[in-house]
Amino acid sequence: MQKVSKLTIFLFLLPALLIFSLYMVAPIPLSAFYSFFRWKGFGERVFVGLSNWVELIGDGIFHKALFNNFKLVFLSLFGQLPIALALAILLAKKTRITDILKTIYFVPLLMSSVAVATLWSNIYDPNFGLLNMFLQTIGFENLFIDYLGNPKLALYSVIVAINWRYIPFYMILFLAAIKNIPDELYEASRVDGASKWENFRYITLPLLRPTIINASVLSLVGSLKFFDIVYVLTGGGPNNASELMATYMYKNAFNSLRMGYGSTIALALFIIAFTFSIIFMKVTKKGAK
Amino acid sequence: MSKTAKIIVILLAGIWLLITLYPFIFMLQTSMKTNMEYFTTSVWAFPENISLDNYLTAMNSGFIRFYLNSLFVTITSLVIIIISASMAAYMIAKIDFKLSNSVFSFFLAGMMIPIHITLIPVYRMTQTMGLYDKLTGLIGPYVAFSLPISIFILTGFIAEIPRELEEAAYIDGANIFQIFTKIIFPLIKPAVSTVAIYNLVLLWNEFIYALVLISNPDKWNLTLGLWNFQGQYGTNVPMVMTGVMLSVLPLLLFYIFLQEKVIKGMTAGAVKG
Amino acid sequence: MKKSLSLVVTVSMFLVILLSVSAIAQEEIVLWDITTEAESELPVIQNAIARFEADNPEYTIRHVPTSNDDYKTKLQVAMGANNEPDIFMSWGGGPLKEYVDAGKVMDMTKALKQDDWIERFVPAGLEIARFDGNYYAVPITGMRAVLMFYRTDIFEEVGVEIPETYEDFKDVIVQLKDAGYIPLSLANKNRWTGSMYYMYLVDRIGGKEAFLNAANRNGGSFASEAFVRAGEVIQELVDLGAFPPGVNGLDEDQGQSRQLLYADRAAMYLMGDWAYGLIKNENPAMLENFSFFRFPVFEDGKGDPSNLVGSPGGNMYSVAKSSEHQEAAIEFLKYLSDETAAKQLVDLGNLAPFRGVEEYLDDPFMIDIYNALNNANYVQLYYDQYLPPQIAQAHLDTIQGLFGKTMTPEEAAQMVEEEAQKYFNEQ
Repeated sequence: MQKVSKLTIFLFLLPALLIFSLYMVAPIPLSAFYSFFRWKGFGERVFVGLSNWVELIGDGIFHKALFNNFKLVFLSLFGQLPIALALAILLAKKTRITDILKTIYFVPLLMSSVAVATLWSNIYDPNFGLLNMFLQTIGFENLFIDYLGNPKLALYSVIVAINWRYIPFYMILFLAAIKNIPDELYEASRVDGASKWENFRYITLPLLRPTIINASVLSLVGSLKFFDIVYVLTGGGPNNASELMATYMYKNAFNSLRMGYGSTIALALFIIAFTFSIIFMKVTKKGAK
Repeated sequence: MSKTAKIIVILLAGIWLLITLYPFIFMLQTSMKTNMEYFTTSVWAFPENISLDNYLTAMNSGFIRFYLNSLFVTITSLVIIIISASMAAYMIAKIDFKLSNSVFSFFLAGMMIPIHITLIPVYRMTQTMGLYDKLTGLIGPYVAFSLPISIFILTGFIAEIPRELEEAAYIDGANIFQIFTKIIFPLIKPAVSTVAIYNLVLLWNEFIYALVLISNPDKWNLTLGLWNFQGQYGTNVPMVMTGVMLSVLPLLLFYIFLQEKVIKGMTAGAVKG
Repeated sequence: MKKSLSLVVTVSMFLVILLSVSAIAQEEIVLWDITTEAESELPVIQNAIARFEADNPEYTIRHVPTSNDDYKTKLQVAMGANNEPDIFMSWGGGPLKEYVDAGKVMDMTKALKQDDWIERFVPAGLEIARFDGNYYAVPITGMRAVLMFYRTDIFEEVGVEIPETYEDFKDVIVQLKDAGYIPLSLANKNRWTGSMYYMYLVDRIGGKEAFLNAANRNGGSFASEAFVRAGEVIQELVDLGAFPPGVNGLDEDQGQSRQLLYADRAAMYLMGDWAYGLIKNENPAMLENFSFFRFPVFEDGKGDPSNLVGSPGGNMYSVAKSSEHQEAAIEFLKYLSDETAAKQLVDLGNLAPFRGVEEYLDDPFMIDIYNALNNANYVQLYYDQYLPPQIAQAHLDTIQGLFGKTMTPEEAAQMVEEEAQKYFNEQ
C-alpha cells in the first residue's frame, strides 16, 4: 500500500486521542492511587497500604457480585445476541412491514433507566404486576411469584429486563453488518438452488463472524461493568442477591463514604474486564486463522 | 420456507412485537392519567379520561429549555464523536503503523472504566478548564466516554472494506484524506449510523455527568428536568412518565429519519466491488 | 456648545456603564437543597429568597434543587473537589458530622447566640446538628414523627381495637390475617422503610440507651440484647404473615405499599407523618378512613412509651466554611426561619421546627402530630441519619436480610456491631 506519513497518522488520531486522554487517562491511575488509602471522597486521606486489597480478596459480597457478573455475561451473551441476530435476519429485507417493525423493535433502547425501572418494577409487582396478573388469568393463581424480593430470582428477573433493553442495539449492529453483504452472493447461491437455511449457514454466518465477535466483546464488557437498571430496580438486593461489581463499588464509594475501598473495587473491575476481553479476542482471532 | 416455519416466524415476531410495543403503550397511557387515578385504579387500566394536562404542566415547567439544552449538548457531542472516531478507526484498521495495537488497546481500555470512578477526576478537570456548570463542559466527558466503543465498532467495519478499493483510488492519484472522505466514509454509512444512534440514545439519557457537572437549573437537560416530578417521599409517576415520553419521542423521530437516510445512501450507487 | 454636549454624553455614558457594572457586580450565593417542584415547601424557599433579595439588592441567591438520592451524590462530589456551594442542606446527624470533621462546615454557634437567634428553634432540632458543643446547621422544615397509620373502616369491619401492647398487636395481626387482609403494608426494597420497625422495636425493648450507648460507644453494643430481640420480633411477625408477599421487592418510591392500602388489601402502614400528605394527594376520598396510633409498647420493655422515631429537625441548612459570603448566608437563613416562613410552612402542612409554631396550627391532624412530638420524651433520629454513613449502610443492609429471613437476628446485630468497631477503630 501507499506510505502514509507519520504526521498524517498522528493528525487523524489526534482529535480522538486528545479528548480521550484529557478526561479518561486520569481515572484509572487515580483509582489505583486511592486504593491504597482510606478516604471519604473528601477530607483527609490516610495511607493504609494493601489493606483494601486484602479486604477485597476476602470480601464475600465482592465474590458474590463477581459471580453475578459472570452469570450476567453468560445470560446476556446467549440471551441477547441470538435473538438480536434472528431479528436482524428477519428484518434484513426491506419491506413496509419490516420498516415498521424495525422502529417498534427499537423502542426498548430509547428508554432511560428511570423509565425501564418504573416499567419493570410494575411488571414484577407481586400484588398488582402484569406477570402475576397474567398468571392469574390463565388459571395459575397459586403460582404467585416474587420476582424481585426472592433472593434466588432477583438477579434473573433483572437480567430479563436488561436483555429486553439491549437486544435492539445488537439488532441494529447486525443489520448494519448484513447490509454489507453483497446481494450477488445470495443471487449466485439461489441459482445453485440453496435453501434459506443453507444461505444463512454458509454465507451470512461466516461473513458476520467478525461482527458477532465484536458484539460479543461489547456484551462481555458491558455486562462486567453494568450498573443502571440493577441499581434502580433492586439496589443490588435483596441482601446483595443481585449485587454487581459496579453497584457494590458505587455503594461503597458514595453511600458508605469508603472511596478508597470503592476505588479498589473499580480497579479490580477494570483489570478483570480488560483481561477477559483480551483473552476473548485472542482466542477468537486464533479461530479465524 | 415451509408453511409451519413461516407461521412460527410470524408468531415469534408477533410476540416480540407485543413485548416491545406494550411497554411503550403502558408509558403513554400512564402519562395521561392523574396521580390520583394512577393510585386508585389498576396500574394497567386505560385512563378514564385521556388528559394531556400532564404534558401542559411539563411544558410549563421549562421543558422546552431542557430540550434545547439536551439538543445542543447531544448533537455537538455526536458530531465530534463521529468525526474523530471514524478518523481514528481508519488509521487503526487500515494503516499498519508501529503503535496501532497499542493505540487500539488504549481506546479499548477506555471501555472498561466504570463511569462512577471518573466522577471526581472529571469534575476536577472540568473545573480547572473553567467549564463547570456550563453546557459545553459536558461535551468533553460525553465524547471521551463514548469514543472507545465507537472506535471499536467502526474499526471492525472498516477492517472489512476490501483493500483493492483504496489501492485503486491511490493509483488514480487520491491522497489519504480524499480516500477517507470519498471512499471509506460512504462505505461505512450503516456502521456510522449505528454508532450515531447508539451514542445519541446514550447521551440523550445521560444522567450522572449532568448531575455532577451542572448546577444552575437554567442549564438542566431533560434527565435533570425529570427531577421536578420526583419528591423526597413520593413520586408522581404519571408526571415522570410524561417526562419520559417527551424525552423519547424526538429520539424515535431521529431514528426513523436516520434509517431513511441510510437506506437512501446505500441504494444510491454505493461502490460495491 | 458642542464641547459641553459631548462632555454630558461622555459623563452619562460613564455613569450608565458604572451603574450597569455595579448592577452586574451582584454577589451570588449558591444554595443547594432537595426542594424540587415536587416538594410542597418550594414556595416557602422561593418566597424567602425573594424577600431577602429585596432587602439586600447587592446579593442574589441561586437556588439549585436536586432530587433526594441524587442530591447526596452531587454534594459529595462537589465536596470532594472542594467546590461546595455556599449553603447546603442535610438531615443532620452522622452524615453532616462527616463534613464537619473534614472542616467543610461553618460553626454557627456565634451567629446563633447573637440576638438570641437560637431561641427561634426547637432545641431538639438544633441538637442533631450539634457536635462537640458547637452548632453546625439550623433546622428549617418538617419535624417528623413515624406513626402507625391504619384504616379505621377495616378495623371496624374486622372488629379489632387499637393495640396498646405488643401482645395486643399480635392479636390484631392474626385477626386481620384471618379476615383476609395484609396486616402491615410495607415496601422494603428501599430498606429504610423496614428499618422503621427495627428502630421502634429497639427503642421499646431496650429504651433509648440501647441505641445511644451503642452509637456513641458508651459501653453499649449493636449486638446487645435489645438489637437481637428486635430482629427476633421482626421475624416473628414475618412468620405470622404480617407483611405483604414479596415485601423485599416492593418499591416505596413507586407507592407500591400505599397501593395495597388503597386497594383495600392492607390495613396498617408504619410511616412518617408525610404519609398524610401523600394520601391526600393520591387518594383524597379515602383520607377520612385513615387515622394513626403510636407504636405498641412491650410490657417487659425498658422503652418510654412516649418515645417516637422521627426527626426533630427535618431538613437542616448549613453554611460552607469556604463560603465567601458567610454573613449574608446566615442573614438569608434568618429569613428562612422567620415568622412569615413559619406561617407559610404550616399552611402547607409542614410542622416547622420553630418555637411557637403551635399557635398557627389549625389542621387537627397536624395538631395531633405536634402534640405527639411535644409530649415525646425522646425522638429517635433515624439510624441512617444518626450514624456515620458507613455504619448506617451496614444497618440498612441487614434489614432485607431480617425481613427475608436470610439472616438470623444474631447475624444481623453482629454485622452492624463489627462495622461499628471497624469504623471507630479507624478514627
